[in-house]
Amino acid sequence: MFKNSVKNTLLTIVLSLLVGALLMLVFSYNPIYAYNELIKGAFSNAFNFGGTLEKFVPLLLTALAFAVSAKVSIANVGVEGELYLGAIAAAWAGVAFKGLPPFIHILISFFIAMMVGGLWAAIPGALRAYWRVNEVCTTILLNYVAKYFTAYAVNYPLSAHMGVPRTPDIASSATLLRILPPSRANIGLFISLAVYLFVWFMIQRTTLGYKIRSVGANVEYSRSIGINSKRIMISGMILSGAIGGLAGAIEVMGIYGYFLDNFSTGIAFDGMLVSLIAINDFRLIPILALFLAVLKQGSLGMERFTGIPKALIDIITALFILLAALQLLQSLRSSKLLHKFSKKKELA
Amino acid sequence: MNENKLVLMQGIYKSFENVHAVIDANFDLNQGEIHSVVGENGAGKSTLMKILYGIHKPDMGTIFVKNKMYHSLTPADAIKLNIGMVHQEFMLAKGVTVLENIILGNEPHKGQKINYSEAQRKISYYIDNYGLDIPLDKMTKDISIGEAQRTEIIKALYRGAQILILDEPTSVLTPQESEQLFKILEAMCKDGKSIVFISHKLNEVMQISNRITAMRQGKTLATVKTQDISIPELAKLMVGREVFLNIASSDHSSRSEVVLSVENIFVPGEKELSKIRNVSFAVYKGEILGVAGVDGNGQSELAEAIAGLRPVEKGKIVLNGVSIEKLPTLSRRKLGFAYIPEDRNSQGLNAGMTIKENLIGNVFYKPDFAKLGVLRENNIKLLAQKLVDRFDIRPPIIKANVSSLSGGNAQKVVIAREMNEDASLLLACQPTRGVDIGAIESIRKSILDAKRNGCSVLLISSDLEEILSLSDRILVMYEGKITGILDISEANEENLGLLMMGAPHV
Repeated sequence: MFKNSVKNTLLTIVLSLLVGALLMLVFSYNPIYAYNELIKGAFSNAFNFGGTLEKFVPLLLTALAFAVSAKVSIANVGVEGELYLGAIAAAWAGVAFKGLPPFIHILISFFIAMMVGGLWAAIPGALRAYWRVNEVCTTILLNYVAKYFTAYAVNYPLSAHMGVPRTPDIASSATLLRILPPSRANIGLFISLAVYLFVWFMIQRTTLGYKIRSVGANVEYSRSIGINSKRIMISGMILSGAIGGLAGAIEVMGIYGYFLDNFSTGIAFDGMLVSLIAINDFRLIPILALFLAVLKQGSLGMERFTGIPKALIDIITALFILLAALQLLQSLRSSKLLHKFSKKKELA
Repeated sequence: MNENKLVLMQGIYKSFENVHAVIDANFDLNQGEIHSVVGENGAGKSTLMKILYGIHKPDMGTIFVKNKMYHSLTPADAIKLNIGMVHQEFMLAKGVTVLENIILGNEPHKGQKINYSEAQRKISYYIDNYGLDIPLDKMTKDISIGEAQRTEIIKALYRGAQILILDEPTSVLTPQESEQLFKILEAMCKDGKSIVFISHKLNEVMQISNRITAMRQGKTLATVKTQDISIPELAKLMVGREVFLNIASSDHSSRSEVVLSVENIFVPGEKELSKIRNVSFAVYKGEILGVAGVDGNGQSELAEAIAGLRPVEKGKIVLNGVSIEKLPTLSRRKLGFAYIPEDRNSQGLNAGMTIKENLIGNVFYKPDFAKLGVLRENNIKLLAQKLVDRFDIRPPIIKANVSSLSGGNAQKVVIAREMNEDASLLLACQPTRGVDIGAIESIRKSILDAKRNGCSVLLISSDLEEILSLSDRILVMYEGKITGILDISEANEENLGLLMMGAPHV
């Protein structure tokens, strides 16, 4: 089953790249050259590869955040807001707790960012669990609240008064170690992978995970065996929001070193796409997050050296999503066809 | 050959996914007869008839209707050939009147408008001639199950049905309503209509049909004239071995120790407040208290109130000396409460999880199965394997998803889970609904085993035969009230049926 889905995903990746190549041919670019530049742009040196990893981390975490909420059958479209709030919280903590030892300072900043993200996500979670308010509406709307709140904070109370709306630099004790200079890739990579493994384990192998999966799959059943489904829904959302907040904190503490207004142009939405294409399957999330990160990073180099607009990569990304969706339909249909075929053989 | 047959189905095959639902089935129908198709759940009765009605396309085989050959039909073809079907689940639009439901898709017109008086005239023919009594102007959501069924029958007749297929029509009716239905069917036969009656209740089949076709595991075993066969012979034919459904319930409890006492409770229903009004009763240690009643008379609400899934407006529920009416479900379970929910698919099982995960639903947090919040896989596997073996759940693959199980085996998962912990009270709601005879037998045995081990059982079932064969005492509910509590020695189908219709205890 899983082998198949990996195979299908790889096939989809190849197919979307092929269609992209066709498009390049139509616009009379050389696709082999272009893809070569794309790969180079994503992997060729420490800077490029670091750039890929840099983009991979928030994609992985936000995809994970969405997948966790999906496990309690809530679509948390608000990860972007949680990411912003986590980021500003980390930027604040990075300045406010100056003087703490590095390790402790990082932990405290993470903790605050995750708490802020988690509590923020608890709002739509509670609205959904207790009053059946559609979470897609509330999370989308709360995204605006969160984003504009950070815009206010970064312009007034937390402003560094520097011309651009940003906070002061965080203390070096709160900065995450860079791993691939000159790129901005940092130990956030290992943190995010650890979080990913931990969450996966938690969902599959713990009592809380059992409750989360149970509520997500069947609320009525969960109630009848004595699970407080409302509380579990909110817990799932808090967990999801905390992961989103952590993603924001890593952006601030590892990449920028401060909070910059509007720094994320929909990172969490890309993450959501990753999760959706993976059909919230934890095993596929890192593969797809990496693929998207490679495309994003590689397209910069491709544009620089071949003149192919970056927009073409966006087209390939869109194609990829489309193909992934199509392939879902296809696998449904082919399984039916296969049945008919095997049945006829048996009867004959 | 077979010139006079109205319907003739030969060598029909049909499979779904990996299941061979119908294998080389043969069936025929004469003009003006009632032909019953009997078999366990999953024997292929409904599938075979759905092929005749065109819902399923057969993989192989031929169908003759009025001596014309077809390889497959569509429902539209079937209606044109004057075939009608009343499904197990009624297919009525809830927001419109009964009359509108009947004419839906076949409205008589007067210019651009629907000609309601014409429709009414046509329908009243069936109402008058067959005794199909229905309230034409009522909203469909407000009518009773019996009325809904009669509406479905009229709907089929209105579309010109000469051949009527009824899929398990009596499973939702009281004995009295069933009698009424049989009279209707006989009247229709006299009028030249032909009826296919799908059932697994053998006494009914013996009572009304001219011929009987028995099915097992997708095959049609035999078609016999009713007078040539007896109920035990038929049961043996269906199951393939002797069955003992009426397991004698022995040693009446002393009725000294109260395990559950329900005191003057009021419980809200889905739509109205106080669906259950002022109900009181007690369940004693080691007894089975059966709760009989037509579906929808408050049994489900009562069960959910005891389970903690529905709030109690007023009154007390005491389990083992503790007031539980305000406690969450988990606390009630910890006090020794086990619950087999009425709806297996939504409440009893989690279709998104494996057999193993469903089996640990009530114990996964206990120290044996979780340490510091981490599940202890090995112990869980051992437990699941033990339960699968003990309750003979097939296939015995604990990693398999429960949605791949048949109804009977799925229900066994629920039973296994709820009986694993030594509960002091087992609330069993419709424990054998929609499961095959083999599973019914084993589920009933399990319930009696629980009783023998000192567990008290509150058995809610709309299957009177089940209530009568298992209970020590029987409580009858009608419109949210108790109309009587009978000892098993004084209870029979007639007096229970009367109480189920709301008649005061005589």
